Amino acid sequence: MEKLHNRILSDAKLKAADIIRDAEEKARQIGDESRVQAQKDADEILSNANLEAESIRRGILSSRIRTNRLRVLDEKNRIVQSILKSVEQRLSEIASTDQFQPALKRFVAEAIDAVGADDTVVRVGFQNAERKSLDSLGRTLPTGTRFVVEDKPIDDLGGVVAGDVGGKVIFNNSFRARIERLDNQLLTTISSTIFGE
Amino acid sequence: MEAVRKIVETEAQAKRIIEDAKSRAQEILESASAEAQRVRQTALSRAQQDKARILKEAREKAEADARSSDEETNVLLANYKNLFENRKEVAVKKAVELILGG
Repeated sequence: MEKLHNRILSDAKLKAADIIRDAEEKARQIGDESRVQAQKDADEILSNANLEAESIRRGILSSRIRTNRLRVLDEKNRIVQSILKSVEQRLSEIASTDQFQPALKRFVAEAIDAVGADDTVVRVGFQNAERKSLDSLGRTLPTGTRFVVEDKPIDDLGGVVAGDVGGKVIFNNSFRARIERLDNQLLTTISSTIFGE
Repeated sequence: MEAVRKIVETEAQAKRIIEDAKSRAQEILESASAEAQRVRQTALSRAQQDKARILKEAREKAEADARSSDEETNVLLANYKNLFENRKEVAVKKAVELILGG
């Protein structure tokens, strides 16, 4: 009887030990899996943080760099425009310099050549130009060429415009027209002189 | 009769042993779950703190770089101003010569 009593208790204790052992094993698994998952989640948070940090960095820097590039371009443009304004001012006063006569002769010759007609009409107009010197130039032109001296500067700054009598062919050799034709070269010359580029 | 009573008592005792073990096992699992939850919270909390630090440092570094870009630009603009003052006459002269085509 005693033996049966001990056997029942012994079986129960063995079964209890199995239950505890299973629970402990499962607890270890829960711990291990939890640690692995937690590390994975933490790594993902940090990985996303690094991407977000790069995005923040790029956002702040690229907008500021863009702004600064625009500031530099604005300043360069302001300087070039200021030079061009001075150039226009200088051209409008060219008639009172010794550069005027040679330039005028060249402008007229170029214009007549460009029109290429026998009956060319040449109009000239400069600010503060002496009428006498303009008229004397007119007398040196080829026969058949009509020479007109305007009271006002052509295209505001002055210059020469030539055309055939019918007005079909016109060559504008005013300062403003030349500035437009030489636009790229002027910008290059001014930039290279001021900025060395 | 006495023997039957004894067996019944022993069976009851064995049942209590197993019930106690089940109860203990339940406690072990609950404790493990709680610990797992605590470990997870600690890891996530640390990661969130690291994330906040990383973002703060990135923002500060970018702001510093941006300030540096501002300063470089200011120096460049001041340099342009000097170049303009010093070379304006030469540039105007060259441009006028180009337009006159001499």
